[in-house]
Amino acid sequence: MNLILAWRNVWRNKTRSFIILASVALGLFAGIFVLGLYEGMIRARVRTVIDTEVAHIQIHHPNFKDDYDPAFTIAGQAQVSGALRTVKDIKAVAYRSMTQGMLATATGSAGVQINGIIPDEENAVSSMKKKIIEGDELDLKKKNGILIGKKLADKMKLSIGNKLVLTFTDRENNITAGAFKVAGIYQTSNSPLDERNVFVNRATLNSYLLIGEACHEIAILLVNDTAVEGVKQSLQQRFPAYSIQTWRENSPETDLMVSTINQYSSIIIVIIMIALAFGIVNTMLMSVLERTREIGMLTALGMNRVKVFVLVLAETVILTLVGVPLGLLSAWITILYFSTAGIDISSFAGAAMSGFGFGSIIYPEFPIASLQTVMIIVVSTALISSLFPSMKAIKLQPADALRQ
Amino acid sequence: MKTVIDAHNISKTFNPETIPVLAVDKVHLHLERGEFTALVGPSGSGKTTLLNLIGGLDKPDTGNILINGVDITLLSANALIDFRLHNIGFVFQSFNLIPVLTAKENVELIMQLQHSKRASIEKRVRALFQEIGLEDKMQTRPAQLSGGQQQRVAVARALAPKPQFVLADEPTANLDSKSAANLLDIMAKLNQEENITFIFSTHDARVIERARRVITLVDGQIHADTAHVETNVAHEGFSTNK
Repeated sequence: MNLILAWRNVWRNKTRSFIILASVALGLFAGIFVLGLYEGMIRARVRTVIDTEVAHIQIHHPNFKDDYDPAFTIAGQAQVSGALRTVKDIKAVAYRSMTQGMLATATGSAGVQINGIIPDEENAVSSMKKKIIEGDELDLKKKNGILIGKKLADKMKLSIGNKLVLTFTDRENNITAGAFKVAGIYQTSNSPLDERNVFVNRATLNSYLLIGEACHEIAILLVNDTAVEGVKQSLQQRFPAYSIQTWRENSPETDLMVSTINQYSSIIIVIIMIALAFGIVNTMLMSVLERTREIGMLTALGMNRVKVFVLVLAETVILTLVGVPLGLLSAWITILYFSTAGIDISSFAGAAMSGFGFGSIIYPEFPIASLQTVMIIVVSTALISSLFPSMKAIKLQPADALRQ
Repeated sequence: MKTVIDAHNISKTFNPETIPVLAVDKVHLHLERGEFTALVGPSGSGKTTLLNLIGGLDKPDTGNILINGVDITLLSANALIDFRLHNIGFVFQSFNLIPVLTAKENVELIMQLQHSKRASIEKRVRALFQEIGLEDKMQTRPAQLSGGQQQRVAVARALAPKPQFVLADEPTANLDSKSAANLLDIMAKLNQEENITFIFSTHDARVIERARRVITLVDGQIHADTAHVETNVAHEGFSTNK
């Protein structure tokens, strides 16, 4: 009967019940949508980092990253290459040479990182080919072709076919320079990367660096993101002399961003939950105060405090149990739609997002991993919020309540 | 006769620290099983407070109240709720039925709180509705019942747990003459045929006329206590709005 009474009490004031129900549903919707939005942003960013920037794992000479000295190549490249072919979790491997240098045109100059690649190898590891918006990818036959980022092209006023000069030091610490012709312009969602990185044929760069067939970096793409740590550990055991780092170590800013965004989303969820809690406390308290006389009468007739407490609590539980599926469903439908349509924020935050390496179109993802947590938080918030009105109800003295 | 209520020297003061109001002042009261007693007196004389004290809805500042030998002033809050559930029936002035439950469910609720068996609840509730003449209104919600009908359901609810006595606070105050007479007939019949003890607080002359004992309260004290209402009222000069 207590449950029947609670159920009917819920629908006694439909508007009020709808407000709580909407609060719970909206709280859950907002929580899941915010998480879905951040999940989508993080995944897209991590995908970009892995697919176009640093792959899953990179192998370097332990001193190479200190100052990008071309002399620190990976010795025993053939041995490493042979070993990598035996690891089943590895999908593709690219051998890169690289150095820091100066790009100069008739109008100005800019510091750049010069990446020597073999296009076929690179295409297997990186999605850079898909990012080319003008011109073509590098051609092994055209030795002095260069791929530059859109931002750099705009800054240096370069277009397809324009010539430029790259100046850098070779492994003997001699300054060397080479003339290149813009073969293609690429654009990723990370404008600082576009501004800083240029790509040339590895053989051409190696000939300037005087390093023969050697490379400075082995970029490894794995079949599965989750295998990163395992593969790293196994490679580190086999090649203890090399520096073997995962994408998290190679792109610490992304790792930091992921954890920062997780913290932001937690803060936003806490704010939403506080708003939800106040909504529930206010409405349920109103419901209890409106029924002071009735609750007093029930106590007078012999309904004990536990049953009165459970009655008020049950009303919130009922509303929560109706609100949760509604919130869940609306969040799922909304995220499902935007996960393919995307949310275009380019008109007001595109440049800022690109500056942090994020795309201007966000594709939210349903946060399945966090779903249970969010639901527990929402339901707990609703229950905790109803404690105060329930306590208020059991503290009513029947004689005082009946006098009202 | 078996003593049902034995109250000694009970007093109750409201707002003792601000503006003290002495609602009940050193009252001694003794009621036997089967009594049909009216508690009368002008507004503010302490009728409802005395009923609340006897019913265990309020605690006296001084004195003891023994119900069937149990001193309810010594019971904890939870024990008192349980005691009320099994021993005392209440009928309130404004009916106080739960609007979201049907008339039948309102009566059943109390028996369910007592953890009575489903079959015995069904049997008892049907008998009570027959007694109050509302068998055809069992599935009706209170809002669809007249004031008189609601009060009859309230009486059925008060009697459902088979209490030691029923306290009725101004039960006819919100009823028209016909409904009031009908309600009093039912209560008098239950009193006579089933020996149920009724104690009313009332201003209503119709109730006072039917009472076999009338206790007059003035300023929180028992001013008169007699079985003959007319003699008593005339003697005390108290108007019964006849």
